[in-house]
Amino acid sequence: MLRTFSGGVHPHGNKALSRDMNIEIMPTPPIVYIPLAQHAGEPAVPAVKVGDEVVKGQLIGAAAPKNSCNVFSSCCGKIKAIENRVLPNGMCQHIVIENNGKKDNAHLPPLKDPTPAEIIKRVADCGIVGMGGAGFPTAPKIGAKAVIEELLVNGAECEPYITCDYRIMKEYTEKLLGGILLVQKAADAKRVLIGIEDNKPDAVAAINAFIAQNKLENIAAVAIKTKYPQGSDRQLIYALTGKKIPKGSRSTSYGVLVTNVHTAFSVYLAVNEGVQSYARVITVTGGSVKQPKNLLVSTGTTFRDAVHFCGGINEENPPQKLVSGGPMMGTAVYTGDIAVTKTTSCILLMGAGEVDYHKESACINCGKCARVCPMNLMPMNLDAYSQAGMYHEAEKWGLKYCIECGSCAFICPAKRCLVQSILLAKSKTKGRKE
Amino acid sequence: MNGINNPIIAPAPHFTKKGNTTRMTMAHVLIALAPVVIASVVIFGHLVILNVFFCVLFCMGFEILYNMLLKKKWNKQGLKDNSAWDLSSAVTGVILALNLPTALNIWGMNIAGEANANGIIPVYFSFDTVIACFLGSLVAIVLVKMLFGGIGKNFANPAMIGRIFLFIAFAGAFTGIYAGVGENGGILQGVTQATWLGEKFVTDAAGVTSLNINIPMLDMFFGRIGSAAVGEVCVIAILVGYIYLSVMRVIDFRIPLVVVASALVFVFLFDGLIVNTLSGMDYLRFVGMHALSGGLIFGAVFMATDYASSPKTFWGRLIFAAGIGLLTAIMRTWTSMPEGISFAIVIMNVVTPLIDKIIRPRPFGVAKEKKPKEAAANAGGTK
Repeated sequence: MLRTFSGGVHPHGNKALSRDMNIEIMPTPPIVYIPLAQHAGEPAVPAVKVGDEVVKGQLIGAAAPKNSCNVFSSCCGKIKAIENRVLPNGMCQHIVIENNGKKDNAHLPPLKDPTPAEIIKRVADCGIVGMGGAGFPTAPKIGAKAVIEELLVNGAECEPYITCDYRIMKEYTEKLLGGILLVQKAADAKRVLIGIEDNKPDAVAAINAFIAQNKLENIAAVAIKTKYPQGSDRQLIYALTGKKIPKGSRSTSYGVLVTNVHTAFSVYLAVNEGVQSYARVITVTGGSVKQPKNLLVSTGTTFRDAVHFCGGINEENPPQKLVSGGPMMGTAVYTGDIAVTKTTSCILLMGAGEVDYHKESACINCGKCARVCPMNLMPMNLDAYSQAGMYHEAEKWGLKYCIECGSCAFICPAKRCLVQSILLAKSKTKGRKE
Repeated sequence: MNGINNPIIAPAPHFTKKGNTTRMTMAHVLIALAPVVIASVVIFGHLVILNVFFCVLFCMGFEILYNMLLKKKWNKQGLKDNSAWDLSSAVTGVILALNLPTALNIWGMNIAGEANANGIIPVYFSFDTVIACFLGSLVAIVLVKMLFGGIGKNFANPAMIGRIFLFIAFAGAFTGIYAGVGENGGILQGVTQATWLGEKFVTDAAGVTSLNINIPMLDMFFGRIGSAAVGEVCVIAILVGYIYLSVMRVIDFRIPLVVVASALVFVFLFDGLIVNTLSGMDYLRFVGMHALSGGLIFGAVFMATDYASSPKTFWGRLIFAAGIGLLTAIMRTWTSMPEGISFAIVIMNVVTPLIDKIIRPRPFGVAKEKKPKEAAANAGGTK
C-alpha cells in the first residue's frame, strides 16, 4: 500500500502534454517587469532608480525590515520605470528593465564546505523563497531554532498539468540532491524523505539510484499515492510520517520541515554557484499552447513572451481561460501581460475541451465534498452558512482549517462554487477575534 | 497573444470532474431502476409501465409548473431553465410507481375483465390508479419537495411520503386482488396482494394456527410471489441496481448493507426470539424470509440512500441506516402494519437534522478537546 492521506480527488493528470519535454532555457526577453512582491509578506523596497544600469543578479529590491525577501535583476540593462502593475494576486510595484543582452553578472562566490550559518545567510542573501507556491522566505524557515527530526522534500506535484518539478528531479538529480543535503545540514535534520507521487516512477528511480550510487545515508525517495492534494504540506507530512499537524501550528514545532524540490534546487545554485534567485523552471502547457514546454525563465518575463516562445497559441483551439498556476488552485487572469515570479509554477492556457463552465445549481446534499475534504471539513455547510451571511456559524464548522485546495468544488455534482464562498467567509471573518 | 482578449475569469478549480453533474447522478439512478421496472413489467404486466409513465409525467410536470408559476416565467426560458431537467423528479416518479400495486380499485373506474377461478380480476386500464398517481405525485413533488425549496431541501424522501399518503388515504385499495393482463396463471404470480409479512400465520385443516415459513426462498428471490408494491418483489433485479449504483459510486455501498443487516438482527431478536418461538434452522429461514419480503431491500437500496434526506457524514449515515433497521424490526414485530420500512425511513428522515447536528467531523489534525463538560458545552464548534 502506498502511503497517502484520507480524502482527496483524482483529477485527470494531463501531464503527458509536457512531461517528456526537456527543460529549455528561454532567453530573457527585451523588456522584463520584475515584481517587488514575489513572496509572502512585505514587498521589497526598490534599491535602484530609473535610469540606473544593472547587471544580472544585482539587487534591485531590498528586503523590507520584517518578513520580506530580496529581489534581483534577471538581466543586464537599464531601469526604464518603476511602476504599479498587475499580478494574479493584486497590484504591486514592478521594476521595468530594458534588456541590453550583455552577459555580465553579479553572482556571489561559491561557498566551499559551508557551515549551517553560512548556508542560511547565503539563502537569505540570494532571496530564496518557497517555490512551491506559498512563497515564504526560506532562510528563517530552515534557520528556525527547533529540533528537526525529518526533512521532507515535496516532489508530489499533485496539481494536474504541471511537470516542472518532475523535470528537475529527472534532469538535475545531482544538483537537487546537493541542495537537499545543504538544507538538511542547515536545518540539522536527522532524516530526509523525498515524497513523489507514483505517477512519476522514473523520478523516484533516478533519485534512489543516485542515492545508492553515492552511498548517502538517511535519505530516500518515497513513492506516495497519486492523489490531489498530496502536495499540500500537511497531507504530505501525514503520508510520509503519520504526524497530523493542525492548521495554524508550525510543522517545525512537530520536528518536521518541508521544502519543495525547486527550493532545494535553488539552494544548491545559491550556495555552490552563487546564483541569486532570479529564474525558475515553469511549465507552459494546456491544450491551447502550440508546443507545451518546460522552460527555465527569468523572473519578470511576461506570460505573453513565455507562450510566444512555445510557438504561441494553437489557433484551432483558442484559449478560453488563462491560468497562473495549476488548474486546481491557480488564478485565472485576464491578460498575458503578467510577469512570472519566483512562485509561478505554471502558465496554463485551457482550450474549449478543457474548461468546463457550468452554472451553479442547488446543493443536493450528496456529501461528496465532505468525503473528499482532506481536512475533514464539511464544505456544504461552510458554503451554506457563507451564502446566508452567517460567517460566525461557518467558523464553528472549522472555516479556518480550510486549505482551499478545491477538491470539494472539483467533485461537486451541483457545481457549487464552494471555494469561492469559503474564501468569502474567510475574508469576512479575517482579523476578528474569536 | 491574440485570441485571449476575453478569457473567462472564474475562481479555482478551473476544471471539474467530467460527467459528474446532478443530472448524470439522477440518470445513473434511473438506469439502476431499469432492471426493477423491467422485472416488474414481466411479473405484473403492462399496468406497471403505465404507472411508471404517469408518475414520471406528473412528477416532472408538477415541478415544471411549480417553477414556472413561482418564478413567473411563463415562456420558453422558464421551461428551459427549469430545475425539473435535473431528472430528480423522474427518479421520484419511478420510485413512487414501483411502490404502488398494479391497479387500485378506489372508485371503481377500471376497465377490467371477469374474475377467474381464483378470484383474480384482470385489469386492462385503471383510471383510479392514474388519479392515485396524480395525487401521489402532487404530495411528493409539491408538498414534500418544492415547498421546502426543491432538490436537496426536502425533509423526507418525496416518493416515500407520496406512497404513505396513498397508503393511508386508500388503505383498502392497496391489497386488492387485481392483476395486469399477461400473467401466466399461478395463484400468487402476477397479483399484487398482501405479502408474506401480512399473512405470516396459516391455519391448517385442524384449526391450528402456525407460522408459515414454507414459501420457497428462490421464488421470493426471483419475485414469483405476491406483493403490495410491484417494485419490491424481484430481489435479483434490485441487487443488479444496487451493484450498478455502488460501482458508479452514486451511493455508498455500505449503507444498504447496514440497513438490511440491522433490520435482520433486530427482527431475529424481536420477532424471532421474543414473539415467536422457533427451533434450530427455522430461525435462519425465518430471518431470510423477512429479508426477502416486503420493501426492505428496495427501500435500503433506493430510498435509504436518498441524498437530501439522509445525513451528510459517513458516521451519521451509519446511525441513520442502523436506525432504519431497528424501526423496521419494531414495526414488523409489534405494530399492526406488516411492512415497516417506509415508515422507518420517514421517521429517520426526520431525525436526520439532529444526527447532522450531533455528528461533526473533527478537522484534520485537531486534537480532541479535553475541557470540562460545561466549557465544552458552551464552546460548541468543532467537537
